[in-house]
Amino acid sequence: MRRLTGTKRLILMSAALALTATAAFAGELTGREVIEAVHDRPIAEDMHATVTMTLTDRRGSQRVREIEQYTLDTAEGERRLLFFTAPADVRDTSFMTWSYDDGRSDDQWIYLPALRRIRRISAEARHDSFMGSDFTYDDISGRHPDDDRHELLRRETHRGEDTYVVESVPRDGSAPFDRTVTWVIDGEWIGIRREYYDDRDRLYKVLEVEEYEQIDDVWVIPRMTMTDKQRDHSTTMEMRGIELNVGLSENIFSERTMQRGVR
Amino acid sequence: MVRMIMRAVRHPWITVSVVLAVTALMAYVTVGGARIETDLDEYMPSDHPAFVYSDMAEDLFDIHDGVLIAIDSGGSIYDNETLGLIRDISTRLASDFEEIESGDVRSLYTAENIIGSEWGLEVRPFYDALPLSDAEPAALRAAVRANEMVAGRMVSDDESAALVVAEIPGDEYSDALYDRLVAWVDAFDSGAEIHIAGRPIVEGELARLGPADMARMAPLVIAVMAVVLLILLRSALHAAVNLLVVGAGTIWSFGLMTLSGIPVYAVSTMMPVMLIAIGTAFGIHLHNTAHLYARRYPDASRARIAEHAVRSMLRPVSMAAITTAVGFIALLTSQVLPVRYFGLFTAAGVLIEMVLALILVPAAIVAFGIGRAGRRESSPATSDESGTPGSRVAAVLAGRGVLTVTLVASVVALAAFGTSRVWIDTSFLSNFERDSDIVRTDRFVNDHFPGTSSLNIILEADRDNAFREPEVLSAVDRLQRSVAGHEEVGGSFSIADYMKRMHRVMHDDAEEYFAIPETRDLIAQYLLLYEMSGDPDNLNRVVDYDYRTANLTVQLKSDSSAIIEEVIATLDPHRADLDDLGLSVNFAGSGYKSYVFADLLLTGQMWSLLIAFAIVAVLLSVVFRDLVIGILGTVPIAITAVVNFGVMGLLGIPLSSATALISSIAIGIGVDYAIHFIEQFRRHAVIDGSGDLPGIVAAALAHSGRAIIFNAVAVAGGFAVLAFSLFPPNRQVGGLIALNMATSAAATLTVLPVLLMYYYRRSPVFQKQSYATEGASQ
Repeated sequence: MRRLTGTKRLILMSAALALTATAAFAGELTGREVIEAVHDRPIAEDMHATVTMTLTDRRGSQRVREIEQYTLDTAEGERRLLFFTAPADVRDTSFMTWSYDDGRSDDQWIYLPALRRIRRISAEARHDSFMGSDFTYDDISGRHPDDDRHELLRRETHRGEDTYVVESVPRDGSAPFDRTVTWVIDGEWIGIRREYYDDRDRLYKVLEVEEYEQIDDVWVIPRMTMTDKQRDHSTTMEMRGIELNVGLSENIFSERTMQRGVR
Repeated sequence: MVRMIMRAVRHPWITVSVVLAVTALMAYVTVGGARIETDLDEYMPSDHPAFVYSDMAEDLFDIHDGVLIAIDSGGSIYDNETLGLIRDISTRLASDFEEIESGDVRSLYTAENIIGSEWGLEVRPFYDALPLSDAEPAALRAAVRANEMVAGRMVSDDESAALVVAEIPGDEYSDALYDRLVAWVDAFDSGAEIHIAGRPIVEGELARLGPADMARMAPLVIAVMAVVLLILLRSALHAAVNLLVVGAGTIWSFGLMTLSGIPVYAVSTMMPVMLIAIGTAFGIHLHNTAHLYARRYPDASRARIAEHAVRSMLRPVSMAAITTAVGFIALLTSQVLPVRYFGLFTAAGVLIEMVLALILVPAAIVAFGIGRAGRRESSPATSDESGTPGSRVAAVLAGRGVLTVTLVASVVALAAFGTSRVWIDTSFLSNFERDSDIVRTDRFVNDHFPGTSSLNIILEADRDNAFREPEVLSAVDRLQRSVAGHEEVGGSFSIADYMKRMHRVMHDDAEEYFAIPETRDLIAQYLLLYEMSGDPDNLNRVVDYDYRTANLTVQLKSDSSAIIEEVIATLDPHRADLDDLGLSVNFAGSGYKSYVFADLLLTGQMWSLLIAFAIVAVLLSVVFRDLVIGILGTVPIAITAVVNFGVMGLLGIPLSSATALISSIAIGIGVDYAIHFIEQFRRHAVIDGSGDLPGIVAAALAHSGRAIIFNAVAVAGGFAVLAFSLFPPNRQVGGLIALNMATSAAATLTVLPVLLMYYYRRSPVFQKQSYATEGASQ
């Protein structure tokens, strides 16, 4: 179990939001203290899960993708390997990302089985869509507490939980939103809802953490939905068969595995 | 009826005060509440299947008419200043205009470049930070040239101009936005020239010019009618009374329109000219009769003269007004809503004018007398009918009936030939002068870019994921190449373009891979790759979420519905092929709507023409209690309609939204002459009693010929004012209506007498009995 540091990306998609308290806070916290508590939650070394990504457009049409996902936190940065298993015509398409803690841009590869070729693809900006979903890389990986100025707006009961409601305003102007508001469960330090507002202060996106559970000491989120309120488009990520700390080798994050699969 | 009118007439000041008060009220209502509707979509019947489908597809693929901002650098766009301008315009459109979302602005700056490099596949902007270093412009130029999705589309082929397209959702577009956009573009201070074009701009210009044209035409037609009335009535006072009649009629009908919540459409801006030109006819006929009576009975009191005018003209004037109204009412068969409203409220205006004329004209006679002209000595010509032009015409017609009919028949035959050459064309741009800014800008953009207009071909499959099948995409690709063969097509764009580009890029830009990938899996994987690396919203514009429906955008250099029809015809050879693949073809977009609209206009035109004919024939039959007379009475207007279309065909004037209105209107106005002539013919037949047909014709011509010609001159003169309209189609309308009035009058005074003589010669029963009974009944 390690602490997350710097701008390093989290292994778990859920990591940005799910945290356990590392210290017993007494009394009222500041917005920044709440967000730091979320950020300082322990995470797993590695993970394997079956992910179902469901994209829904404003007419209710859906695109469903099934992905086997492997992630590993290394000394250098995060490794991520995805294998598409459905729909049939993209089966065995694989996607690998190496991100680096030292600020270098990511390396990404894609293997298209129909082309029998691995291509590197351009590095994603942190605010770009994650695999065509409503999540951005930023949403998946999490923002560092230093990236924003935080203010505690209020405490309220949300979905039956005692929550802190924190507003965060990005320090740089590159984000596609001007502020976010996050509901964090007191004591558990898991964010269960986040609202994003655009430069005209219109509601832009809403993240709902629909299921969260503790596996060993680590909080994971088996189901969450990001809704783009302006495009009326949403993405639900469901993780099943979550396995933590299974001892993945760094060697599997290779072009060879992309083509042959994990044995 | 006459008594009711005379009661109002005997208190002229009260009557005039009431009319003025109502007019003032209606003017207040109109000025305060009238709304000008310029959204061309409002012209379209929204429940028509073609429009329903188009609206669905526009929503599905986010199809909007774009505002096109063309930057003419004068040299090459690849310098820091022009590139900066492209960037500034692209980014500030979204930040300065709340109505414009940044995702709806497309330009070289916002475009994504799908490229292959030794590094792999990249989707990234063409340029970002400025200024560019010395080597970068050349690299940028090479990148643009290598990307057929941008070259020629966002940057002109000669590299002198760049395009920024801002798509504005239809419900966000307004005249105010148009004004702000135009001012905003003007405010850019740079060495480059900036043009703004596109359908929203055309609509905005129409919105600006429509009221301007009405403001220009209304006083002009009033001035012309004042002069015409002064000459015909020889009394400033009576001319003023007639102007009050037509002015009040116009203002009342606009007031009624406003009270009904109906906005002023572009077509409604012709209403003042129509109502003012048409409405003077009633007064002219009333005056004519009053004059004749005053001459015959110089000692008659004012009230007697007025009462006589009302009594003898009530039937022909109301008949003339009703038939004119029928011509407009016939427009209610149109599927085009503004045309229906135009017909309805102009008909209402005509009837209001008739009532006002029947009250105010006699009231003025009661109050002020008939004027000097009325008391003049009768000219010898009118008392002695043997030497009148009427009798000479009658003699010629009686002797040379066959020649007359032959002459007319040959004119009609020529016109019929011309009619066969009439083409339908609705083009919004044709509303502007050829050298106007908007037309020149449109030409500039069309010369440098694919086109200012577009047609969306919507291909719908019978199954999901059809547009991931290589056979289907290949068919789309073939379709695009075939459509591109039309000279007015500047380009086309579909999911096939994305596939071809990705296929080539993934094969190191090798030209032989600029084709549809061979397998379904590869297509699916490219699509996945694109979704993962590009902006998925871009794909949503060309294919729906289920890959079942695709949008093929064809860019056109003309908004003419005739061109769109030709482009649609280029699909015909592919239809069997598409059908085999389970694809159905539909269309969408404003260009297609215009095309359907043109078709509706034609059908509507045919229907309103037939209905106007039928109603007028029935009315004439009922009024004259003779079916044959009813039919004969429509002959002059039938000739008028054929000549109208013939002249349009021969002069190449297209049947457009403006000119389509003419013929049913002309029927309603033109039949008045036949009514007046038949009325006089039968009157004189009764008076005469001898059955001397040429003599009866001569008398009828002497009595009504002058009034008919005056009437035609007045109406034609009023419409001739449209020659000064800001809109070229309105000028055609003015000319054609003037022509129709002349044709109608000429046909009434030549063909109709011949036909009547022929008919009565053949019907001895009528000669001997009906004359007598009618004479007794009158």
